[in-house]
Amino acid sequence: MSGHTGSGVHPTLARSPLAMARAGLDRCVHCGFCLPACPTYLALEDENDSPRGRLLLMGALLEGQVRVDDAETGRHFDQCLGCRGCESACPSGVPYGELIEATRTTLAVHRPLPVVARAILSVFAELWLLRGLLGAARLVRGSGLARLAARLLPRRLAMPFAMLASTARPAPRPYDATQVRTAAGTDSHAMPDRGRAALLTGCVMESLFTETNRATERTLSVNGWRMCAADEQGCCGALHAHAGDRETARSLARRNIAAFAASGADVIVMNSAGCGAMCREYGHLLADDPQWAARAAAFAEKVRDVSELLAEAGPRPPAASPGHARETITYDAPCHLQHAQRITAPPLRVLAALPDAQLVPLQDSDQCCGSAGIFNLLRPEVAERVLAPKLQHIAATGAAVVATGNPGCLMQIGGGLELSGAACRARHPVELLDAAYARAVRPD
Amino acid sequence: MTALATTLERIVGPTHVLSRPAALLAYRSDALPGHRLMPSLAVMPGTREELVAVVRALAADGTPFVARGAGTGLSGGALADGIVLLGLHRLRRILAIDPAARTATVEPGVVNATLTRAAAVHGLHYAPDPSSQTACTIGGNIAENAGGPHCLKYGVTLNHVRRATVVLPSGEVVELDRGDDGGYDLLGAFVGSEGCFGVVVDATVQLTPDPQQVITLLADFLRVRDAATATSRIIAAGIVPAALELMDQATIEAVESSVYAAGYPRDAAAVLLAEVDGPSIGLADDARAIEQLCREAGARGVRVATDAGERARLWQGRKKAFGAMGRVAPHLVVQDAVVPRTALADLLEEIQAIGAAHRLRVCNVFHAGDGNLHPNIPYDADDPDESARVHRAMGEIMARCIAAGGTITGEHGVGLDKLAYMESLFTAETLDAMCALRAVFDPERRANPGKVVPVRSCREWHATAAAR
Ligand SMILES: Cc1cc2nc3c(=O)[nH]c(=O)nc-3n(C[C@H](O)[C@H](O)[C@H](O)COP(=O)(O)OP(=O)(O)OC[C@H]3O[C@@H](n4cnc5c(N)ncnc54)[C@H](O)[C@@H]3O)c2cc1C
Ligand code: SF4
Ligand code: SF4
Repeated sequence: MSGHTGSGVHPTLARSPLAMARAGLDRCVHCGFCLPACPTYLALEDENDSPRGRLLLMGALLEGQVRVDDAETGRHFDQCLGCRGCESACPSGVPYGELIEATRTTLAVHRPLPVVARAILSVFAELWLLRGLLGAARLVRGSGLARLAARLLPRRLAMPFAMLASTARPAPRPYDATQVRTAAGTDSHAMPDRGRAALLTGCVMESLFTETNRATERTLSVNGWRMCAADEQGCCGALHAHAGDRETARSLARRNIAAFAASGADVIVMNSAGCGAMCREYGHLLADDPQWAARAAAFAEKVRDVSELLAEAGPRPPAASPGHARETITYDAPCHLQHAQRITAPPLRVLAALPDAQLVPLQDSDQCCGSAGIFNLLRPEVAERVLAPKLQHIAATGAAVVATGNPGCLMQIGGGLELSGAACRARHPVELLDAAYARAVRPD
Repeated sequence: MTALATTLERIVGPTHVLSRPAALLAYRSDALPGHRLMPSLAVMPGTREELVAVVRALAADGTPFVARGAGTGLSGGALADGIVLLGLHRLRRILAIDPAARTATVEPGVVNATLTRAAAVHGLHYAPDPSSQTACTIGGNIAENAGGPHCLKYGVTLNHVRRATVVLPSGEVVELDRGDDGGYDLLGAFVGSEGCFGVVVDATVQLTPDPQQVITLLADFLRVRDAATATSRIIAAGIVPAALELMDQATIEAVESSVYAAGYPRDAAAVLLAEVDGPSIGLADDARAIEQLCREAGARGVRVATDAGERARLWQGRKKAFGAMGRVAPHLVVQDAVVPRTALADLLEEIQAIGAAHRLRVCNVFHAGDGNLHPNIPYDADDPDESARVHRAMGEIMARCIAAGGTITGEHGVGLDKLAYMESLFTAETLDAMCALRAVFDPERRANPGKVVPVRSCREWHATAAAR
């Protein structure tokens, strides 16, 4: 016979977020379909580091079979990447992402976050501090010190520098939308006005991937969107929510909701899958805040990934530039695009529009690369083990470029490629499209 | 830390021996979580040498153990009651694929679908395809003699294993084969022994060439009885479908609400998923004949999958159906009876009637072509009254299946869950013969003790116990 019996909630957790999310736990039938989808299970080879194991531990916590301050159990939750690969595999619809956040929020009371994590999170919550630090990082990158450190330091210390070095880009080649349309032989009136779009510029994106943000704006303009700015915006709060710091996440969400409402945008564009997944959750995050619930839901409704907007009506194909060599490109799906937002086809459609590229499939492209927000900074040894098979599969494609639409993944894979001395580069799909438009206007 | 734990840590390294109760919780059940037993220790070897050394250390210590693959079993077979749990999921290397001989040699923890994926480049696949194939291991498949939808045409695990290296509970390593060169088919005895005869160290399995063409049909019916009738008529007509699966409305509803939604008609009382495969010549005729027979039996419509994508979706829906039932109620019981195909139509109605009498919803999803029934009952185990009704209903369903000339397990094994039915199905002599066979491999009964054959029905064991 089946089922856990006598499952009362332990008094200490009676009103905890985990107890509230309990119905989700009950959906798990223990079938095990999620095991092979879980990167930490594959890397660490212990069922306690699998979705099924973690769900069971959540139940055991609730029922008081495991103490809330049990350090080993806490470690299994900490080691979860939050990639939600398990949700895409689960036939029973277990809302794993929601449950792990509820668990972390519940445990945060009993088990304070490690100092490093707290430090990083508070930096992300303070715009001026974050901008300053990332600005400094840019200086290190520009001076070539990052690459030097990546080469000289022992592997574990070298990775953050390699990640930073991998974000460097050649000088931008701006163009304007009408030029692209003229080059493609279509007049500017042929593209209907699609509406007003405001970009969530993001903290890491705007500082380290400045050019990707500009590329996002340019490619959207080419495709009929009018870009507008949302000035007072800031961090989306994803890192805080994933770590169990729900209150900070909520206040960051409120700031963004207000900023984008003021911008008058019809859609709110994301080019970071992690931020996109978070912003779509705002409605849920603020559901119990009467002043903000409706506005949060309206905000979430307007969130679109840049690849969705580009794929909707195209994208407008860039003209081929004869002098440019054909390149092999492969695609790695960011977890927060594929599993959290269930967006799979649009990025591939963007890549398919590239005139000089041959797209080759990547084995296990739906598996996490190990970036997972700040996970790779907190648990470098686990992140590295998760990354290893990814780098092997990328090498097996022989591709010159691996495309992926999330800053964390770009840095994790980019850093890994940098350290392994591979010639392959990690790029955002819109960067590639943007470069193709630029070449069409001014061939290289 | 016990001396045994220290010894095991020395063999596999400290991270792969678990002894804290909190760490062992994850290993207390398989995919039938109503059964829960706590092991005393879990040890997870990472190489063949480590595995053999671990079994030898357990032998030297006289400690019983239970092998575990992916823990997707549906009979409580991989549960260890205060003894050592031997996790084999780390042994997941494909050692060799020989496309010319059409064989693969694998470690026991290789996941079934991973093997098929690796064989695909050679135009080959591993034919036994349990619905759990994306998660379950070859070692677990061998131990349970696993079947799957396509076993109707291609045969079950037993028909696809050529040889195996096995470490006996004594620590002795033996090679088992099918006795093709003379001698007994010892491998045949081992396949399906539910972890009671020893542990698979590696196995060589047969790979099957991908068929030239595949046609998948979905027939929908307004009465379950008509779908059952269509099933027996298709088989009676002499057609050998590659697979023939039946799902009733409750199951369709669960699947269609999940990420594996396949486009089954939600308002159908039942659907039949039929597939024919092989050389293109004549295949379309078989498909047409199946369509015709379904319509004659009362099918409302028959749809033919037009491309590989649609075919894959239709199959994914079927294969994830059991998991999808988690959305109906928090707990689930599943049975695994095999009945004569001609009795299917009547039995399905009786099962529904039993369910209704106990105010329960029975969801059916099963290998119709084999007459292998899987009645599932979703329920809430926290409700003692409902739990008692479920228990009674399942007992009645099994009694009906046995009375109709059926048996209690087609593919999930006896394990712990079906132990109680063994004595009503077999005579004391037969059970004794099973014990005698087991004694050849594991005279001390240290491998997966207390499963499959109820200890009390083993006369020989009683005799030796009395002598001690
Ligand atoms: C959703 C779902 C659908 C399923 N569909 C099917 C189906 O269509 N057909 C079917 O046949 N089964 C099916 N099953 C049942 C289950 O998947 C099979 O029994 C499978 O063979 C178990 O494999 P495992 O690796 O999970 O083994 P486990 O559950 O870990 O163990 C099962 C048994 O095998 C023994 N064992 C494991 N590894 C070894 C080894 N290396 N050496 C010796 N003994 C070993 C264990 O001791 C235990 O007795 C299904 C299960 C689920 C959850
Ligand atoms: S796939 Fe879903 S239902 Fe199955 S064990 Fe994993 S979380 Fe539970
Ligand atoms: S979120 Fe990712 S790492 Fe965490 S349990 Fe799910 S699959 Fe594993």
